[in-house]
Amino acid sequence: MLELAIGIILGCCALGAGMAMIAGIGPGIGEGNAVAKACEAIGRQPECKGDVTTTMLMGCAVAETTGLYALVIAILLIFLAPAQMVNILTSTIGSMG
Amino acid sequence: MQEKTSRFRAVDALLILMIVLPILFGIVLQIATKPPSEGIAISGARIFFTIPFFFQDIPITESQVNSWIVVVALLGLCLYLTHGIATKTKTRRQHFAEMIVEKVTNMVRGNMGEYFTGFGPFIAAILGLSAFSSLMTLVGLYPPTSDINVVAGWAILVFILITYYKLKGGILHYMKSYCEPVPLFAPMNLVSEIATPVSMAFRHYGNVLSGTVISTLVAAALQGISAMTLGWFWGQIPFLQIGIPAVLSLYFDLFSGCLQAFIFAMLTMLYVSGGFPAEQYEKRRLRRSQKKAS
Amino acid sequence: MTLEVISVNIWQILISLINLLLIFLILKKVLFKRVKKMLADRQAALDKQYADADEAKRNALENQVAWEEKIQSAHSEADRIMKEANVNAMQRSDAILAETKERADAMMRQAEAEAKLERKKATAAMQHEIVEVSTQLSEKMLGREIRTEDHRALIDSFIDEIGEDNDANG
Repeated sequence: MLELAIGIILGCCALGAGMAMIAGIGPGIGEGNAVAKACEAIGRQPECKGDVTTTMLMGCAVAETTGLYALVIAILLIFLAPAQMVNILTSTIGSMG
Repeated sequence: MQEKTSRFRAVDALLILMIVLPILFGIVLQIATKPPSEGIAISGARIFFTIPFFFQDIPITESQVNSWIVVVALLGLCLYLTHGIATKTKTRRQHFAEMIVEKVTNMVRGNMGEYFTGFGPFIAAILGLSAFSSLMTLVGLYPPTSDINVVAGWAILVFILITYYKLKGGILHYMKSYCEPVPLFAPMNLVSEIATPVSMAFRHYGNVLSGTVISTLVAAALQGISAMTLGWFWGQIPFLQIGIPAVLSLYFDLFSGCLQAFIFAMLTMLYVSGGFPAEQYEKRRLRRSQKKAS
Repeated sequence: MTLEVISVNIWQILISLINLLLIFLILKKVLFKRVKKMLADRQAALDKQYADADEAKRNALENQVAWEEKIQSAHSEADRIMKEANVNAMQRSDAILAETKERADAMMRQAEAEAKLERKKATAAMQHEIVEVSTQLSEKMLGREIRTEDHRALIDSFIDEIGEDNDANG
C-alpha cells in the first residue's frame, strides 16, 4: 500500500512538472512575436539595428520570466516535492500506526 | 614608450598569477573533492564544510568559493589593467581599460541620466561578476549564478537601491505610490514591488540552471544513444558526446551567460532610474533649500 | 554532500551580497578611479598644449605685426633717404649750374668788356689817324696851316657821330 502511494506521488510529481512546462509555450510565442517585429523594424530602419536589438533582448528577457517560473516549479516538483511528500506520508502513516 | 624595468615586469607577472592562480585553485579543488558521478545527477552546489551559526548554519559551498575566486581574479584583472597607467603611454591594456570605463559610463548615462552617472562602477560590477560567474562553466567549474542564493543576494541589493532611490522623493510620496490608481490596489502593488527582485533572481538563476540541466540531460542522452547504437565495445566510449555538447555549451555558457549578465545590469538600471521620482525629488530639494535660506 | 537544487540560506545570500559590494568597491577604487584620473590628466595636458599653442600663435602674430611695422618704417626711411638724396642732388646740380652760368656770364662780360675796350682803343687810334690824315690833307689842300685845335674839335664831333652810328648798328 505504501509503495503504491509513493508511486502515485512520484508519478504525479513528474506529471505536474511536465504540465508546468506547458507554460513554455507562452514565452515561445511571445518571444517569436518580439523577434519578428524586431526583424521588421530592422528591415524598415537598418540604421537602428543596435537599439532595436538591445530593446528586443530586454523584452525577450522579460517575456521569458513566466517560462522560467514554470521551470523553477518543475524543478521543485522533480527534486524537492517527492521527498517532502514521502516524508509527510510516512510520518502520517507512522503516527496512525 | 615607457621603460619596462624588471620590477615592472615582475609586478605584471605577479598580477597575471593573481588572475590565473585562483582559477587553477578552483579546478584543483574540483578534481580533489568531486566524487565520481553516479549517472544523471542534477544537484546544487557541493558543501565543503558548514560553520555553525545562529539562526541558520553557514554552508561554505562551491558557489561561495567560486564567487571568491571570481572576486580575486577580477581584482587581479583590474590591477593588471591599470598597472603602469599613464597619460602618454598607449599600451593595449590601457586601451582596454579606457574602453571598458567609457562604454560602461556611456551606457549608464544613456539609460539612467546624468544624476546616476556614479552608478558606473556598480553596473560594471554586476556585469563583471555575473558574466565571469556564468563563464566559470567554460573551465568546468560550478557556476555560482546557478545557485539561487547568490543571485538572490544581488537582487536584494538591487531592491535596496530601488527602494532607497524611491524614498528620495519623501516617505509620503513613496507610500502614495502604492495606492496608485485606488488604495484598493495596495496589496497588488506590494506584490509587484516584491516580484521585482524575485523575478530578477529567478530569471538569472533559471537561465543558467536550465543551461546546466539541458547540458546534463543531452550529455546523458548522447551517452545512452552511443551505448545503444555502437555495440557493446565501442558503446562504452561515448563518441557522440564529442561535438554536440560543445555547441550547447557555446549557447548556454557563452551567449546566455553574457546575455543574462547584460540583462541583469540593464534591468537594474531601468528599475533604479525608473523608480526614482525626479520631479518630486527636485521639488523637495527646492523646498528644503528655501527652508534653510529662511 | 550537496545542497538541494533550490535551497534558500540567508547567510549565503548575505555573502553573495557582500561579494557584489566588494566587486563594486574594487572596480570603483581600482579601475574607474585610476582610469578617470588618467583621463582627467590627459585632458589637462591636452588643454595645456592647446593653451601653449594659442600662446605661441599669439606671439607669432605679435611678432609679425612688429616686423611688418619695422618693414614699413624701413620702407618709409628708404623713401625719405631717397627723396633727400634727390633733393640734395637737385640742389647741387642747381648750384653747379648756377655757378657755371655765373662763370660763363662773367667770362662773357669780361670778353665783352675786353672787346669794348679793344674797340675803344681801335676807335681812338682810328680817330687819331683820321685826325692826322685829315689835318695833313686839309693842310695840303688849303695850303695853309690850320689851327689844329679848332679842327680837332670839329672832327671829333664828326667821328663821334660815326661811332654812335656804329654802336647803334653793332
